[in-house]
Amino acid sequence: MRHRPHSYAVEVPSSTFGRVAGVRAMKREPDRYARHPVRRALARGLWRLLGLAVLTAVAAALAPVTLAAAAAAAAGWWRGWPPRRLYTTAAWCLPMTAAWLAAVAAWPARVGPGGLWLRAAAAPYRAWLASWQLAAHGHLAAAVVAAAPPAVPLGVLAGGLAWQYRLFRMRTGAGGLTPAAPATFDSRLWRRQVRTAKALLAAPGALPLISRNGLVVTGAAIRSVRHRGGPGRAAAIPYPRLRSHQVVIGSTGTGKTTLLLRLWAGFMAAGLRRYAAGAANRPLLVVLDCKGGASSRKVADRTRRVLRDAGARSTAIWPDEASLSLWTLPPGQLVTTLLDLIEHGTGGAAYYTDVMEAIVSLAVSAPCGPPVCSADFLARLDPGWLAASYAASGDGAAVTTIRSGKRGFEDVELRFRALWRRLGAGLDGGGSFGDADAWYCVLEGTAEGAVAEAQARALTDLLAHYAVSGQREILLAVDEFSAVSRRLPIWRLYERARALGLAVQVSAQSWEGLADTDDERQRIAATAEGGIWLLRTPRPGPVSELAGTRAYVDTTRRFAGQGAWAGDGMSRTRLVPVLDADIVRQLDVGQAAYVYRGGVTYVQVKRLTGRQAALAPAAGDAPTMPLPAVAVPAQWPPVPPPPPDASEVLDEAFGARHE
Amino acid sequence: MTLAVRDADALVFAADMYGIQFDQLAALTGGDRSARAAAKRWRDLGYAETARLTEGPAWLWVTRAGLAACGREYQARKPALPQLAHIRAVAATRIALEATGAYRQASAFWRCERRIRARHGRGIRQHLPDGEVHWPDSAPVAWAGECWAIEAEVTPKTVARTTAIMREILTRTGDYGCPAAEAAVPGGPPRHARALYLCSPAALTTVLNARALLGPLAARIEVRDLPPGAQL
Repeated sequence: MRHRPHSYAVEVPSSTFGRVAGVRAMKREPDRYARHPVRRALARGLWRLLGLAVLTAVAAALAPVTLAAAAAAAAGWWRGWPPRRLYTTAAWCLPMTAAWLAAVAAWPARVGPGGLWLRAAAAPYRAWLASWQLAAHGHLAAAVVAAAPPAVPLGVLAGGLAWQYRLFRMRTGAGGLTPAAPATFDSRLWRRQVRTAKALLAAPGALPLISRNGLVVTGAAIRSVRHRGGPGRAAAIPYPRLRSHQVVIGSTGTGKTTLLLRLWAGFMAAGLRRYAAGAANRPLLVVLDCKGGASSRKVADRTRRVLRDAGARSTAIWPDEASLSLWTLPPGQLVTTLLDLIEHGTGGAAYYTDVMEAIVSLAVSAPCGPPVCSADFLARLDPGWLAASYAASGDGAAVTTIRSGKRGFEDVELRFRALWRRLGAGLDGGGSFGDADAWYCVLEGTAEGAVAEAQARALTDLLAHYAVSGQREILLAVDEFSAVSRRLPIWRLYERARALGLAVQVSAQSWEGLADTDDERQRIAATAEGGIWLLRTPRPGPVSELAGTRAYVDTTRRFAGQGAWAGDGMSRTRLVPVLDADIVRQLDVGQAAYVYRGGVTYVQVKRLTGRQAALAPAAGDAPTMPLPAVAVPAQWPPVPPPPPDASEVLDEAFGARHE
Repeated sequence: MTLAVRDADALVFAADMYGIQFDQLAALTGGDRSARAAAKRWRDLGYAETARLTEGPAWLWVTRAGLAACGREYQARKPALPQLAHIRAVAATRIALEATGAYRQASAFWRCERRIRARHGRGIRQHLPDGEVHWPDSAPVAWAGECWAIEAEVTPKTVARTTAIMREILTRTGDYGCPAAEAAVPGGPPRHARALYLCSPAALTTVLNARALLGPLAARIEVRDLPPGAQL
């Protein structure tokens, strides 16, 4: 028995959003049949037969329209399109109809008598008549051509309406033979929509990195709720959203890296385009990969190739191939950063903190200028040298301070020497963030947490200092930052970045990985003005709450007790989350939900692959490794003595040495 | 069917070097006939494949089964055409060095680029040397305990690029594939005591110019000609 929700009186208040609407139901049959079930069933059957006969007759009479409608509805069902797409298709057919009408008006000899307006008005009827006559004589192709101009747009429109009606009934729970039918319909619709999205991904050139109107294309939309677009369309976001804070959450192996690469490449390509147009500064992408290890280096290499194709001039991989100089910080900031790199205690240990602060400040602010490398800095942690330096400039107060804190110098020097040994050369080189278009910084957060924490602190300080110059549009992407955020809470990084005009993109494998406390997580997610990307994750609940709710019509059915459901029931509106947590839990690899401003778009992310690295760069092709590996000052490390002469073996194998 | 010890060494050599030409195989097995016989045995066992990839002698490379027999966890693949010249040059370098008396007396060890890459991880674009020679501490030579980086230069790169590679080799302190923090530790002992550049005539000038830009580090760069017959 089919369910007819349109026969109910559903009461939906005008201000339904935000509260549950009232509920009212009424019986659909007139009272006079209520006491005669047999007559009632007969009458219902007769009316239904009559209606069916009329519908069949109309459909047969308007066979061309019916066929076009059936084809359109079937296409909508097969591809999972929204009805709007069919309406658009019908609108795009109208030029054909207009041209046909113009031909009819301008070419009276072929279409029949009458004035201009009569010929135009009667054209659909005459076309319909002609098609039937042609079909009766066996000219089927000619019949189709004759009926097509008016029948196709009308049929596609009718198909769209039918498909919308079907969707409406299923969405409200009123369609299908059983109450379970809408859920089954929805899951099948999802599969067809995914198939459509994947087909779009496979189409060559269908999804460029940047669309014609400058949007960053991330993939093909599977389904959208309260967002524009839908199945079979490109899922694109404007560049300014990449210049806002974003959050990406996804478990391992769900396609998070693929999505991030797409977003980074989009940021780079769109930013360079704006830079070329003189509308913005050159973009700079800084990635802090806080996991480390071989997997991070693979991602770094992939990032380099992808960014190169996106137009990046150079990508520096820190600290493996490039280095930065901490010593470019202004002296005041340098003192703060150096002190933050060392862990301090509290309570009684605060005394030593003060001593260290005084010694470091004296070393950095020495009259000869700030240190230029770690060796220079360590050499200054000598009370004799420092006192002599200040005495030469006539600073008696400083000399007194140095003498009074003389005993602390050895400890401070020991701690900083150990720190620099562990940090390596990555912060002791001569590079700057301005040297490359992208920096991929690998922090060994998993293997060496303490070192990575210090490196993260130093890198963010360096980036903040560089951002103040305002030379670049910066996107800071931090992956699993919570692994190294003990000394620099991520919300503080967020707020600091906001003040500096940096965009921060935080990615984590789970909601819990975003930050240490739930308060921080909420704060990060709530301030992600650029949207939240959610890949498959077991706990999408908190993001679902943030995404908000929408009104949803829920229909119940009365069970008749004879193995079927009766034709009456109740409908009511209730609020359901915009982001369906169950869909998120079941997302496949490469699928993501993009939550933005109370709406969500489910996206099949388009994988971005860079060209494989050539054996040798082509002529005129800029190399992607711009910086010498681990740039270190000439004086450091000290040059070891020349190795012993090995001419004995080398001369025997290869001949004389070339000088 | 079994492999002679000499054949097994040659098979491991071919596996480590990506591939090898028959004339080089003959140098390893002791003659053309023995090389052809060894190649036939390997083919019959499914350990190797052969084909004429370039002018001159045929090439031989080790299959997946052969790599498994050698205990190597490399990805089995046919040598790529653009790399053949370089592969041959490196193999010739290794054969020439291993043929010296000091090498054999010291029982030095050649760590091939394929092995380094396997440890370092695939897909890494960081420059890797074409090989490393490890001299045991107990070797009766003055350079005992040293590790040499080997670079075979067939085609010239730019001077800047060559200088950058030289500098990276000489300042590196950690093994390839080590944590980033250990890759270049200031003050730490360098991994490579020297770098040995074997150059074709075309690449020689570039390498010499690049070495001249290194300053004091240039003392640790040895530049020699590729051994005879190393070029295709």
